[in-house]
Parts: sequence; structure tokens; C-alpha cells
Amino acid sequence: MATSAPPYPIAGGDGAPRPNVATGDRRLPAVRDYEQVTREITSVLRPTVAWFIGLSIAILFMLTGAGAWMYQIHEGLGVAGYHPPVMWAVYIVSFVFWVGIGHAGTLISAILYLFRAGFRTTIYRCAEVMTVFAVMTAGLFPVLHLGRPWKFFWLIPYPHWRWIWPQFKSPLVWDVFAILTYLTVSATFLYIGLLPDLAVLRDHDTNPVRKKIFATLSLGWRNSDREWRHFARAYLFLAALATPLVLSVHSVVSFDFAMANTPGWHATIFPPYFVAGAIFSGIGMVFTIIIPLRKWFGFKHYVTLNDLDASAKLCLFTSMVVGCAYLTEFYIGWYSGNRIEHEFWWNRVFGQWWWAAWIMLICNMVLPLSLFSQKLRRNTTWLFILSLFINLGMWFERFVIIVPSLSHEFEPWQWAGYQATWVDFAILCGSFGWFFMWFLLFVKQLPILAISEVKEIVPPKRRQMIAAASVGVGGGD
Amino acid sequence: MRGVLGRFREVDATVAAINALKRQPSTGVTVYSPAPDHSIADAIDAPVSVVRRYALIGGLCGMTFGYWIPIYISKWWPLVVGGKPVPSWIPYTIISFELMVLIGALSTVAGLFINARLPDLRLTVGYDARFSDGEYGVWVECLPEQAKAVTETLRRSGAVEVRNEP
Repeated sequence: MATSAPPYPIAGGDGAPRPNVATGDRRLPAVRDYEQVTREITSVLRPTVAWFIGLSIAILFMLTGAGAWMYQIHEGLGVAGYHPPVMWAVYIVSFVFWVGIGHAGTLISAILYLFRAGFRTTIYRCAEVMTVFAVMTAGLFPVLHLGRPWKFFWLIPYPHWRWIWPQFKSPLVWDVFAILTYLTVSATFLYIGLLPDLAVLRDHDTNPVRKKIFATLSLGWRNSDREWRHFARAYLFLAALATPLVLSVHSVVSFDFAMANTPGWHATIFPPYFVAGAIFSGIGMVFTIIIPLRKWFGFKHYVTLNDLDASAKLCLFTSMVVGCAYLTEFYIGWYSGNRIEHEFWWNRVFGQWWWAAWIMLICNMVLPLSLFSQKLRRNTTWLFILSLFINLGMWFERFVIIVPSLSHEFEPWQWAGYQATWVDFAILCGSFGWFFMWFLLFVKQLPILAISEVKEIVPPKRRQMIAAASVGVGGGD
Repeated sequence: MRGVLGRFREVDATVAAINALKRQPSTGVTVYSPAPDHSIADAIDAPVSVVRRYALIGGLCGMTFGYWIPIYISKWWPLVVGGKPVPSWIPYTIISFELMVLIGALSTVAGLFINARLPDLRLTVGYDARFSDGEYGVWVECLPEQAKAVTETLRRSGAVEVRNEP
């Protein structure tokens, strides 16, 4: 969106027209004019057979999860493999995983916007949509984890006849505020960014019903100078407000653990460790989604290899922060001289949970080091495969944080094991189905690339360009 | 609302029209562009948006409310532990921060809607669907006797189409 930054000169040193916003040196050489942007981005909105198949699979997965949940409500939480002391497991692991996935969207759309990182322009809409649907998915898990899920609203402070309120000193109540705020602000940010694009759809759709829907959703947006002026300022402030929110939400989620006096959890490193991990996993999911999309939709000249290269560098950086956090945890465990800490960390890495810990270490710390190679950063097949490993590794990171700590607390008589059941896996698959169902519905109804922002980096038409083009055509004749 | 609508293909022609119209008496000029453009914004020379004030006031209200609600609730059941004060401001800062962001963001959106006059679902006069695609528009609200001069100015500046509306 337009900023208050000073504009580029009308013509650069080479006489070529320059973009009118400060988005670095971002250029799209294969995009000639605004009309091409509108035409190409809206042309992919027609549903295809492959899309229907994908959507059906997603809905099938979601129904599987819903069926497992109904079974759990009937039978009780025991069917999810819970028994003391492990009373938090796959559901909370998946909750933290999905909240983490939701972090890259706001990082890319808000933080990189404030930093004027040009490569965000063509990937941010996809990441923002991913954020909203990932947080919607995450929000299901605390409810799934309740014995009586229909009482979930008890966590929200509202006056009622007994004057009983939630405990504001509890991290679980902080979570409610953090997640609901994050969901509301992310969805608002997405919708406000969509307004000009909805106006484009309203003006170009030929179906009268869809036209009416887009007209209502676009709120009568007309691309006037007044609208753009206030829009640019509102977008800037929304980005400024969303930026600390990105950092705070996963910090608050980490307090769920760090506030408890449990080995492996009670650590001040948790907030930055969780935030870095969240951004890392979110970028992994962005790769998982955007690499197939740019191929299927023919958007390779919008989401260029340079954009993927820049995102891969961010992925490498966050992987190294996460790796540093893992090593710091091990070091502090050893340096503490505390026997319980020694025993706990040994059990986590070489004992009962070695397999989960090594999946985590290899996927999150070792494999991303391949991104030091520029060749691999620009290899979309490798980036896609790596992103799947990152998703796997980050799910296991949360598993390694939660389950080993609960199953191996201070007293040996408390030590136990944990075995996930088919209900856990069905609900986990259902969460992926739920997420991809919404995502697939979005990509065929609304533009997955931000039309108006892409236009901002395409040089606008000028008289000299038109004149030069007509001379060129004339000369050719 | 009567006026003249000029349609342009190039941004510099649009800017030239805005500058030329400044020298003529008219009630108001609205410029449509498919994407925000600094040269148009400079030519219009509009004041800085006041949306920032909505963000500030909303954020402050949210922060205050975020402290007030847990303090009020704590004092409803004043269970003193170890002689410490019942409200505990450090955890309440988390609630306050979240509500500051939430209400600040929603106020910013309210500021956008109020100042940009949205929603306005009456797309009647002074607009063309091509303005959201790749072309520019200049809508000049004027009296019927001024329309001829405005039309001439828009044509001279490079408009590809000029029409009187309604």
C-alpha cells in the first residue's frame, strides 16, 4: 500500500520508469501493465476439476476428525490416550503447532511491510490467508481438549448471576485474550487489504450474483484519492499494531509452559524460543503452499525465484535461532549442575524420547543448513521437500517440549509413558482437512495475490511510454 | 450531484489535469487510480490522514480497559495472600497489551471507514469500472455553466473520454 515515504524519481538513471512506492528494487519484468495484473490474477478464480478433487479430500479429512471428536465426546478424553501424568499431549502439541503456523503471515504482511522488504509483495496475501485459517484451526484444539467443550465460553469474562470471573493470573486466560486478539487483528488486516481487490472483482465479474456479493463486500470502494489516502495510513497503523502482536502471541503461548514448575518448561528462554520457532514453522508452511500454487496458477513471473530465495534466507536465519535455542537449553541443563536437570535432558535426547528429539533436531537444525547453498535456495523442488520436513520437525518440537516434561517430572514414581491413539491422529488429520478446506475455498473465490499491491510495483503508464510504443509499432510496420 | 468525468490512460496526463483544474473554480475534484500513486497524491496536496488519531485514542482506551477489568474483578473477591496487594499489575499488563492492540486496530479501521466514507454502496455517478483496472479518472463536481470549461481542460490535459454526468 502507498506509504508516506518519498517517491522514486519519475525516471531512473536509465530513463526507465520506476515504481511509485518504496519497496526496494522490486521489479516484475514480465508484467507490462496494470491490465495484465488484473487479467492474470483474476483468471485463476474459475474452479477446476483438480480443485474439486482437492477440496473433496480436505472435506473428507475434516469429517474424519469431526467423527473422531464425536466419538471422544461420547466416550470421554481417555480415548485420546490421556492418563496421569501426561494430561497434555497431541491436542496441545497441535494447538501450539497451528498457532506457530499462523505467525509467518503477520510477520510477512506486517513486519516485512514496515521494513519495506520488496519480496513480501507477492507472497503476503497467501501468508495472511494461511495465518487466519491456521489460527482458526488452532482455536479448535483447546476446545477439543475440554471434557465438556460446550462450556468453552467460561474462559471469557462476562457478568453472570454468580459473579464468578476467570482467573486473570492464569496463563490460560492470557491465551484466550492473545489468541482472540490475534485472530481478530489478522482477519481485519486481511479484509482491509482485500478491499481494493474486492472492488476489482466487483467491476470485472460478469455473474450478477457474484457481482452483488463483491459489491457488498467491497463496501463501495472506488479507488478514489480520499480512500487511498486514509487506507494507506490505516494500513500502516494496522501493521504497526500487528507487529508487537506477532511477538506477544507466541510469548503468551510459551507462558503456558514457562509458568509451570516442571522440568524442561520453567525457563526464561521460552518466549524468544517460541517466537523464532513459530516464524520458522510459518515460513515452512508458506513454502508448502506457495510453491505448488505458483506452478498450478502460472504465477512464476509474480512469485519469482528471487522472492523464494529471500524467503529461504529468512527461513535459514530463524532455523539457526531455533537451533541456538535448542543448544542453549542443553547447555543450561548441563551447566546447572542439577541432577534432575541432567537426568531430564538425557532422557529427552538419548532416553525414552530419543526418536522424537532427533526428528526435531534433524528437521529443524540440520536440514535447513542446506539453505546456505544458493543453488538449493532457488531449487523449488528442494524447498518444497524441505518445507515438509520443517512442518514435521516443528510439530515434533512441540511434542518434545510437552510430552517428555510431563512424563518425566521430579519424582521417579511419577514417571510414565504416553501412546497417542487413533483418535489423536484422526483429529490431527481433521485439523489439516479443516485448514486446507478453507484455504482451497479462498483461492478460487478471492485473489491469492494482492492485485493493488502488485500494481504498485508495476510502473504506471506515461505519455512517453505510449508514444515510444506507437513509434516502435510504426517502425516495425 | 452533477459534474464532469474525465478518463485517462496515463498517470502524467492525470496529474496535468489535476494541476490545470486547480486554476479553475469548481466545487471539488476526485481522482480515481487503480493503485495509490505519489505523483497524484502530490498534485492533490491533501492533508495528512487523521486515521492516526483514531489508532492512538483507541489504543489508549484499550490499554485502560485492559487494566481496569482484571483489577475490578480481583477486587470483587479480595482474597489477600501473604499481605500482598490483590491486583497484580504484571500479569494484568498482558491483558492490557492485548486489548490495546485489539481496540487500537478496530479504532483504526473505524477511522478509515469514517474518513473514507465507507461503506457507500451507491455507485451511481462519477465512476467507471475501468478505474479499478488500469485507467485513471478525474471527477469534477461543478455547475452546468462551468462544465464546458472543465471539459475543455480535461481534454487538453489528455483525457481519452470526457462525459457530463448525470
